[in-house]
Amino acid sequence: MQERKIRVLLSKIGLDGHDRGVVNIAMALRDAGMEVIYLGRHVFPEEIAQAAIQEDVDVVGISSLADAHMTLIPDLVKTLKKRGSDIPVILGGFIQPEDVPQLKEMGVAEVFGIGSKLPAIVSYIQHMKLAA
Amino acid sequence: MYTKTTISQLKEAVAEWTKANEQKFQTERKEFRTESGIPISRVYTPLDLEAKGFDYLKDAGLPGEFPYTRGNTPVGYRGKLWGATAYGGKGALEESNALWKAQVAAGAGAIFVAYDLPTQLGLDPGNSKAVGEVGRVGISMLSQKDWEVAWDGIDFAKVGVAQVLNAPAIFGLANHITLAASKGIPVGEVRGLQQNDILKEYMARGNFIFPPTPSIRLTSDILQYVGTNMPNYQAVTVCGGHQTERGATKVHELALMMIDATTYLQAAVDRGVDVDRLAPGLMFFPGSDHFAFFEDVAKFRAMRRMWARIVRDRFKAKKPESMQCRIYAAGGGLGLHREQYLNNIGRIALATLAASLGGVEMFDTRSYDEQFGIPTTEAQVNSIRTQNVVAYETGVDSVVDPLGGSYFIESLTSEMEERAWKVIDEIDQQGGIVRALETGYVQRMISKDAYEWQKRFENGDIKRVGVNIFESNVGEAEKPVRIYRSDPAVEKKRVDSVVEMKKKRDNHKVARALDELTALAREPESATNNLVPAVIESVKEYATVGEVCDALRKAWGEFREPTTI
Repeated sequence: MQERKIRVLLSKIGLDGHDRGVVNIAMALRDAGMEVIYLGRHVFPEEIAQAAIQEDVDVVGISSLADAHMTLIPDLVKTLKKRGSDIPVILGGFIQPEDVPQLKEMGVAEVFGIGSKLPAIVSYIQHMKLAA
Repeated sequence: MYTKTTISQLKEAVAEWTKANEQKFQTERKEFRTESGIPISRVYTPLDLEAKGFDYLKDAGLPGEFPYTRGNTPVGYRGKLWGATAYGGKGALEESNALWKAQVAAGAGAIFVAYDLPTQLGLDPGNSKAVGEVGRVGISMLSQKDWEVAWDGIDFAKVGVAQVLNAPAIFGLANHITLAASKGIPVGEVRGLQQNDILKEYMARGNFIFPPTPSIRLTSDILQYVGTNMPNYQAVTVCGGHQTERGATKVHELALMMIDATTYLQAAVDRGVDVDRLAPGLMFFPGSDHFAFFEDVAKFRAMRRMWARIVRDRFKAKKPESMQCRIYAAGGGLGLHREQYLNNIGRIALATLAASLGGVEMFDTRSYDEQFGIPTTEAQVNSIRTQNVVAYETGVDSVVDPLGGSYFIESLTSEMEERAWKVIDEIDQQGGIVRALETGYVQRMISKDAYEWQKRFENGDIKRVGVNIFESNVGEAEKPVRIYRSDPAVEKKRVDSVVEMKKKRDNHKVARALDELTALAREPESATNNLVPAVIESVKEYATVGEVCDALRKAWGEFREPTTI
């Protein structure tokens, strides 16, 4: 039986329009053989949670660069839990380092801030899937 | 430009020189290319200009003369230096009012308003989509009531207001005019500018509300209104820096700016308004980056030449002001880094030098701490002072277009123009810019540039000091002592203030004005159905940005982005 490809849902969250990073990541994950569903911009926690469950993805990757992550990310994590999902959420973008411990406590699996390299993100997701 | 004898003698000399130095050429480190991937020769001579068919009078000319390649004025910075600005905004009205008063006291001729995302997207505080975003990346200023507070004690007759609003630009303009009127300043004397460049929002920045076609209508409304009533106002700032920050190469940036400007001007001219009334209302906002130093110098020169020819030949304009491409350049954040962040000051200086060698009218710099958050006041002041050093200490102001005539710069200027025209043709073949945005063609083009860049950066082909070369941090400051972060408590205050404000106004009058706006928006656009007056009427009754945009959403709906990957 052929092994199922790793499925990743990527999305911007809230009103932030900076999508250079997330689209780069989408392209890199595809080049690494994963299936990528990208929801685009102006998407809100409820829609993201719904799509993640519907699409039965292995991981949700969120991009935030306008400093609204401390409100929107906990909201997304809670919404997923409320719907009985334990799909891991990873976060990238302009994230103040002081926020990282708190975000992880709230249930974010990993944070890839400014300067993160594409291969590091690809390999993190591959290992995450292996460990699951 | 050169005689046949000179050219043939030069060809011989170059051939001999090449032959004699074959071995030394082997020691060259690599193949050299510009940021856009244009191959760069070892050395440039008149042969390169000859190969490009470069005609001095036709392609360069003299400063202040068509096609303005060498500058819009005959005296350049010998007459007046470029204007140095730095962009930033604080969330609370009172905080911004204090900042602006300080800027006016320091001699600023114009105030730049950075709005928060909800305002830029036409959402009031309290809207579920705005939660967590109010006052985060700029000011939350969403009704005439807020305008009264934020501009208290600032003289609109002396100070221009520059607003970074795009989708709801018409709302910002209406508020500016309304507050000026209540301070006794007639519309004809209102000074300032709008960004009002919606096409780049679909391409890069992402702050769109309505679909492209009605959005371009709003741009035309503003262009026409300003062209008819406001001689001291720039209606549209055609952006390029946003696209390069998103990943576009400088050649793509050049092409997209020309397409966007042409689209806006054509739409307004199609209403039957004289092009010479409209074209002076446009200015350009390209990026200037130290890492694309020569390309940017060439790009500024190519912009002036291309725009002059477009406006004269396509639009048949008569006035020189219509043909002149006024450039307000901006440094990008892409070229700045967290690692060894003080190196950013050097980068800002070099970006300033590129802009000034390109003959721009104004330059807006980022700040050395920009990669840590909204810049602190210290960093913003340093960034202005860095520009001052370039302006007053290098002598860059002493010659008009100092790099004009350089075999390299003239070749690169022509090469970038040629390549940009090819991109313009490709987008035409996609059915024009609106279609190419609806299908995601342009977004994919820029994403591909960004992905290529990222790979080259990560494999070390693109070098950044302190990031992937000279990484040792010995003796380097790790991060700035102070980092500005907006206060999350602002949001609650703003939500409450909207509720309070709505209690005090005449809601019946507001509803009537908004209904009228929706009705007019449903009617076809024309020179006589301009929406600016209707938005002014709504604003006078204290309608909010969310309400005005909702009135337009009723008529036009919202833009759904195509899948672009």
